[in-house]
Amino acid sequence: MKQAFLVALLAANLMPGLHAADQPAPPQPSVKVGDVAPDFTLTDQNNNKVSLHEFKGKKNVALAFYVFAFTGG
Amino acid sequence: MQAFQQNLSKLEAADTQVLGVSMDSSFSNKAWAEKIGVTFPLLSDWGGDVTKEYGLYNPKYKAARRATFVIDKDGKVADIKLDSEAIDPSKTVEACQARKLNR
Repeated sequence: MKQAFLVALLAANLMPGLHAADQPAPPQPSVKVGDVAPDFTLTDQNNNKVSLHEFKGKKNVALAFYVFAFTGG
Repeated sequence: MQAFQQNLSKLEAADTQVLGVSMDSSFSNKAWAEKIGVTFPLLSDWGGDVTKEYGLYNPKYKAARRATFVIDKDGKVADIKLDSEAIDPSKTVEACQARKLNR
């Protein structure tokens, strides 16, 4: 029983290691469903400041992170 | 972002403001928005502070992971889509439509 536990522990430790050597794991969102979304103020393409809190109580926000401009998606 | 533009009227009808965010400069975003006809804000997270706060900074590309958050009218995260599901906004549209009815 103890041996099986050790084997499982070893396997659990090895697998992310093997995976990491191949490809680094993608980042995992630190903000979860039900959390208050962290506020921000950023500049849009027309140099207007946009803050998340402007929409509170008024609209839903679809906050779409994209990788790079001039790419698909 | 093209797919979000195509679904913009549906999202607006569901009381939803679309905001794109990346670590590009505003200058880059302006040129790109004009090229593809995006009319909603594309926000420049130059330096990546917001991307990091949301846990999406990918050091391999020095850029964000593709992700779409639906934030409800109370400021809480209602839905998260990653990668290919974040590119196709259909599930985000559904989540926003459900949120319209809640209020």
